[in-house]
Amino acid sequence: MPFNLRLIPLLPFIGATLLMLFGRRWKRETVVLVACGAVLAAAFVAFDAFFTRLPEAAEVGGLTDNVWSWLSVGSGPTALNVDLSFRMDALSGLLCLIITFIGFLIHVYASGYMEHEPDYARFFAYLNLFCGAMLVLVLGDSLPVMFVGWEGVGLCSYLLIGFWYTDNANASAGKKAFITNRIGDFGFLLGMFLLFQYSGTMNFREITSVAQSGSALMQPFWLGQPVAFWVCVLLFIGATGKSAQLPLYVWLPDAMAGPTPVSALIHAATMVTAGVYMVARLHAVYLLSPAAMAIVAIVGALTAAFAAIIGFAQNDFKKVLAYSTVSQLGFMFAGVGTGNFDAGVFHLFTHAFFKAGLFLCAGSVMHAMSGSGDITKMGGLRKLIPWTHGVFFVCWLAICGLPFFSGFFSKDAIIAGAFATTIYKDAGLQWVGTFVGVLLVLAALGTAFYMSRLYFLVFSGSSRADEETKHHIHESPGVMVGPLVLLAVGAALGGFIGIPGAVIDHPELNLLGHFFEPVLGAEMVIPHMTEIIFTVLSVALAGTGVWLAYVFYGGGYREPAHQVAFRFPRFVALVRDKFRVDELYDAIFIRPLRKLSEWLFWLADRILIDKILVEGVGAVVDVFGRIARFVQLGDAQRYMAAFAIGVAALVFFATRPPAPGELKINVEGLSVQVDARRPGRQSPRELEYSFDFDDGREENQTAPEIRHAYRQPGKYTIKVTVTDPKWGTSTQVKRRVEVQ
Amino acid sequence: MPPSVGEYIVFALLAGTVIGGAIFTMTRRNPVTAVMSLVGTFFALAATYASLSAHFLAIIQILVYAGAIMVLFIFVVMILNREEVAPVALRGLGFRSLGVAAGIYLVIIFLRVVRVAAPTDLPVLPETFGTVSSIGDLLFRDFLYPFEAISLLLLVAVVGGVVISRSHKKEVAAEQAAERRKIIEELARHDFPALADNAADTHGGGGHH
Amino acid sequence: MPTYYYLTLSFVLFLVGTTGVLLRRNALIVLMGIELQLNAGNLAFLAFSRQLGDEKGQAFAFIIIALAAAEAAVGLAILVALFRSRQTINLDEASLMKR
Repeated sequence: MPFNLRLIPLLPFIGATLLMLFGRRWKRETVVLVACGAVLAAAFVAFDAFFTRLPEAAEVGGLTDNVWSWLSVGSGPTALNVDLSFRMDALSGLLCLIITFIGFLIHVYASGYMEHEPDYARFFAYLNLFCGAMLVLVLGDSLPVMFVGWEGVGLCSYLLIGFWYTDNANASAGKKAFITNRIGDFGFLLGMFLLFQYSGTMNFREITSVAQSGSALMQPFWLGQPVAFWVCVLLFIGATGKSAQLPLYVWLPDAMAGPTPVSALIHAATMVTAGVYMVARLHAVYLLSPAAMAIVAIVGALTAAFAAIIGFAQNDFKKVLAYSTVSQLGFMFAGVGTGNFDAGVFHLFTHAFFKAGLFLCAGSVMHAMSGSGDITKMGGLRKLIPWTHGVFFVCWLAICGLPFFSGFFSKDAIIAGAFATTIYKDAGLQWVGTFVGVLLVLAALGTAFYMSRLYFLVFSGSSRADEETKHHIHESPGVMVGPLVLLAVGAALGGFIGIPGAVIDHPELNLLGHFFEPVLGAEMVIPHMTEIIFTVLSVALAGTGVWLAYVFYGGGYREPAHQVAFRFPRFVALVRDKFRVDELYDAIFIRPLRKLSEWLFWLADRILIDKILVEGVGAVVDVFGRIARFVQLGDAQRYMAAFAIGVAALVFFATRPPAPGELKINVEGLSVQVDARRPGRQSPRELEYSFDFDDGREENQTAPEIRHAYRQPGKYTIKVTVTDPKWGTSTQVKRRVEVQ
Repeated sequence: MPPSVGEYIVFALLAGTVIGGAIFTMTRRNPVTAVMSLVGTFFALAATYASLSAHFLAIIQILVYAGAIMVLFIFVVMILNREEVAPVALRGLGFRSLGVAAGIYLVIIFLRVVRVAAPTDLPVLPETFGTVSSIGDLLFRDFLYPFEAISLLLLVAVVGGVVISRSHKKEVAAEQAAERRKIIEELARHDFPALADNAADTHGGGGHH
Repeated sequence: MPTYYYLTLSFVLFLVGTTGVLLRRNALIVLMGIELQLNAGNLAFLAFSRQLGDEKGQAFAFIIIALAAAEAAVGLAILVALFRSRQTINLDEASLMKR
């Protein structure tokens, strides 16, 4: 059903353009008005579309908007037709709401947080640009349009991480994000191409129908695996880059160098979820290859556990949250990897609220602590910044998965789904489900632990900060607190749209499951017992994690924490150093690459271009100049000598008798016929010919042709001397001939 | 009609003198000796011209060439008289010798050709062939323009020669004298300002050269 | 005498003059060589004039003599000026171009 969907990404783009062109001259208030207004307007349109129009259109594929016919190449079965068109169905609609609503809240927050920033307009321009690009990504109806948005958010991520680019570290972090993304994008592109080659289309609906009917994508491709497997794996590589999974997650912790609103919006709520969205969109293709889904799930689960462990020992507020994001994304991928697409997207939704809330709290706390994020120096902030504390408290409970907060429902769905999944049965990979489930359980325990650690170290006990900082601790202004509260509300209540009502025999309570049916297919059926067991287990684990953290860190650094640090110093250091993965990458990839480029520089630039092409050309010209210099002598006597030599040469060549280059000889048995005429124009000169037949006989005559009979067969060299009697000049021509 | 023995002998004598004189000229170190031998060569040449029935040209050759031009050479030789150590120029000698060799080659070719190519019978010449009146008639009628042009050329050559070889000593001396006079007048005006007006007039007239 | 005798004489005289021009170092001698060359040309003109029975060749030779006079005058003037500025008439040393 057609609808003006293009407004949704267009409004933020317009905002970005206006801000980039004129923002510097505007007052702060105007900038905020334009930026927040653009996103708010987009939110209005999105909400309007979602709530009033979408319900009718849901069954027929949602709302569409075909803006422009972009590519139309070739014809017949290999034709490529890509349009710039948008589609809002249940999946993209939900994400639109998340992006515009949370985007708006963060814009408002940032207007207060970035108040003292000189480059105000540029920041908001980038933020708007990001929102626009993300909306394109989500609303895109085909892979190329999604890729445009994909790259766009990558670009904005780079721009915003390196926003304070005058500091080298920030610029490097931006670079790292972009480059790591790019590596993933390579996989994405390959997957896209492969998919097009075997399905003939790039449009999502058509891909889904191709995947669900026919075996176009099941043909074997490489290593005995079908096309679908490779497509999924390649696309997933792109997702590991964009969504910070193993092995390409390394950019996300560094990205904390950017302003906190950026971390909240991009690296918590929206951009990093693009990978999950992509997998959900192409669920039809993924379902064709259980092996690929297994890879997705395992990578997700491993990432979840690995990042959680690193989070145990981080001392920077935002870094803890960064690794937490990586870990939660792992949960999401584990969810979609086990076939539980509904749960994966549900967790995306709840995570957006509580993670954005957590990050904005981080901003608030750092604001209070005069810009420092070092939790070893915090503590006791509960009484000092109550509003922030309240929001953090709610979001903390949500992420730990305590009952009835949003995280509880979504995380449980994923864990239960992992153990109950049936999609691996056909491929003989049943163990994957259990393996993933166990990892997720451990990761959930870890999540509870490190988040609680964070809570206790920052908000409980007494302050460990110095006097100067303590003086300045104050609550954030209203413009920052407002969004915080709204996010907390979402974190608290958001879970209720996805209650697993099936457990209590009220499946209609699961609003989300129903909602996604037209897009993601029927929701996974989880046996009641499994559901209940794991619900109880999750709660128990969450409680354990919180309690453990309390034991270690309740009210500050407690004895157990000191003991561990004392007994296992090396291990603690390793964890704090994020297992030295960055150093590993540096040694394996970056240093050799750098050496290679230095070598190539030396070879191509220094030698090839500088020496050979530039200096070489100069040297050649120089040599020729030196040689040519001898013509200009300034010596009249030598000039005259050259004159005389020239005339003599001219006379010599003009007076030579014409003779052929090669004698024309006809051999007939023992006799030969020799023709010594020059081919072409005959000269009127009277010439004498002298023939020497190499058998002791010679003939002199004025005719150029002669016949001669040899007495014996053999090889002879016939010599002809042409003489011009008038000038006295002569020329000689020889040729070997064989006579039989 | 083939030439007689006498004619052969005369020609041989004259030709020998010409060539010998020429070679002698070119190989002398002392320029005066060279000029003298060149004069001798020209005399022999004049005789050769006479044997070619070019009587007027023969006399002109003696008058102008041997007389005027060679005297000119003598004057210059006397101005620039220097003995030189080695007669042959060394710069790029190989190349120039190659030029000489080319010349010799050309002569050889020529000799080979001329024997075959040139006709041998001569027309009967009128009595007045090559006499003053005959050549004068030709010069003032058919060759009037070249004649006038050549006189103009001689004028140009005279003026050019004078200009090029002019000594600049007098000029330099005159300029220096003018400078001195100017300085003196400046000093005079300093010492006697009352006479400034008068001095200005004369200064304006005599200051420019 | 047959004309080609005179022509040969002219050619050889020209050759001698050219040799002097090419090989000698003293500028005065070089100028004299040039005079020899001109005279060789004159001789050729007169030989042909006699053979063709046409006096125009002689008039032309007359012009050439006048020309040679003018050229000798200017050439010697240049030589004198050269001597004044360089104190030498040695052609080897008179050139300013790089060896």
